[in-house]
Amino acid sequence: MSEGPGIGEQREMRWQVRAVVVVALIYLFLIGVSALEAGIKTMGADTQEQLFANVSNPLAGLFVGILGTVLVQSSSASTSVIVGLVASGALGVDDAVPMIMGANIGTTVTNTLVSLGSMRQTNEFRRAFAAATVHDFFNVLAVAILLPLELITGWLSDIAGWISEQLVGSAGSDWKSPVKEWVKEPVGWLSDFWEWVGAGGNGLGVLLVITGLVIVVAALTLITTNMRTLVADRMERSLNAVLGRGGGMVAMMLGLVITVAVQSSSITTSILVPMAGAGVITLRNAYPVTLGANVGTTITALLAALAASSPEALTVALVHTVFNISGILVLYTIPRVRDIPIICAETLARVAADHRSWAVAYVVGVFVVVPVAGLAILN
Amino acid sequence: MVMEFFRRGDSGLERIESRIISMLGDARHSFDLAANVVLSGGDPGLVAGDIRDTDDRINQTEQELRSELVVHVAVQGSTDIGTVLGYTLLIKKIERIGDQAKNILDLAFEGVSFADAPDVAELAAHHQTVSALFGEAAELLSAPDQAAIDDYRHRADELRHHFEDKLRGYMHSSEPGSEVVPRAILYRYLKRIVANLAGVLTTASEPLQHQDYFDAGQTDIDDD
Repeated sequence: MSEGPGIGEQREMRWQVRAVVVVALIYLFLIGVSALEAGIKTMGADTQEQLFANVSNPLAGLFVGILGTVLVQSSSASTSVIVGLVASGALGVDDAVPMIMGANIGTTVTNTLVSLGSMRQTNEFRRAFAAATVHDFFNVLAVAILLPLELITGWLSDIAGWISEQLVGSAGSDWKSPVKEWVKEPVGWLSDFWEWVGAGGNGLGVLLVITGLVIVVAALTLITTNMRTLVADRMERSLNAVLGRGGGMVAMMLGLVITVAVQSSSITTSILVPMAGAGVITLRNAYPVTLGANVGTTITALLAALAASSPEALTVALVHTVFNISGILVLYTIPRVRDIPIICAETLARVAADHRSWAVAYVVGVFVVVPVAGLAILN
Repeated sequence: MVMEFFRRGDSGLERIESRIISMLGDARHSFDLAANVVLSGGDPGLVAGDIRDTDDRINQTEQELRSELVVHVAVQGSTDIGTVLGYTLLIKKIERIGDQAKNILDLAFEGVSFADAPDVAELAAHHQTVSALFGEAAELLSAPDQAAIDDYRHRADELRHHFEDKLRGYMHSSEPGSEVVPRAILYRYLKRIVANLAGVLTTASEPLQHQDYFDAGQTDIDDD
């Protein structure tokens, strides 16, 4: 069971190689975001307007955010794309805010799907489904409270805009991001390649956008896979340290740290689901970990904003962070309110454990039917 | 607790392994205390608290290790699933050894003492042999050596058969019950402890489906 001499050194070497690969993948990810921005900019103003006319309705933006995230199963990927779109100027910050909130809801589909895996064991399923859907309920409630407030007052984009202004300058100015300079050359090569193939005008823009999207999703997937392997032992140790001893802030901080490390809230929350199903972690202890993961996952969009050339890109990335922190302040700090998502999740889990088809209907309904039907009605 | 994430340390299984070894140390401690009381005729009340606390610690460790094994699978995926399932069997065996040590102490509480018995030297030798098996098992768990494990299992098997023979002998003995029954019970516990110790090492060397069996699954050694 213990490793012989030399294996430890091999493991250390593999660790170092993986760390170098992750750094290279982050660079690739930034190239993807920048290519996306460049692609949109290459398209004419009319095309840009046509592309994003539908999301000027906040509910439509919300549904697009949910569907886009469900499709790629990663809010990190979808919010990075939104940051790229805002950086290109094709999408305004106000239109992007509901999309960001939608991405927050959409990302919870992954752990809810994971919980369906324990459907055959009634009690295990009830616990796992509750641990998964507490995240859904928190995000839906946060959107239900904070989106109307944002639409009325614009407070969220104001706060994010103010922070962004302190960091990189006012909206409308051209921010000289050093990261942008590092990725400029490879994005130029991509553009040259497609021009060499014969693309031009809108066609070139579309090809650059597609290339950017593929790079962003692929790089993020590989970053997540590698980082998960890199920090697995650390995750295991810290989860064991927190189990049964730490609720509240400690668990929240752990969720944040793990998610920042693996660049995916889905990984963090999907780890919790089987643990909750087995009864190793209670719903009340798992809940704050998911909230920490909500905040931690915003690091990717912030990273993406580094490759963008406009302060608005950073603003929309900060909207994601401020929104999730505000959600915690509103829904977690007051004990009675804190219990609402837990009670909702427990109730739904009880019903789902008795009627399994309801669980499937819930997942399909919330993450596919409602946003698709909503978009169809609004369009 | 969050800072644990930033510290370098053992992998999850390494940590679990070291806790299993300390659990084995606790089981040995209980066994030695209980066996000494029965063999020396000492006051069982003097060690009962220690044995009870040690057993509580073993039970607590068993529960914590089960949680840690679930966390390990949740975080690391199914890569180590064979080892994880083996460990769940292994920690149960160590927990049973703790219970069997308590059962030996119960003999002392019932007034059993071999201090003046003619076979006390033989029983004391068995105690020493079994106690040494705990230490060997711990060493082989931390540094597995297949030849040494095979040798250990062979010796444990011989010892188990010897205790079985003694037990059968007492079952057909014409000696008074007060002489025969305590010995039969003690040998029964010694046999189970040896079988559990051998089982602990089986998890380190045999495929999961054959654990608790000999001869590639033909002979059940767990409940005989």
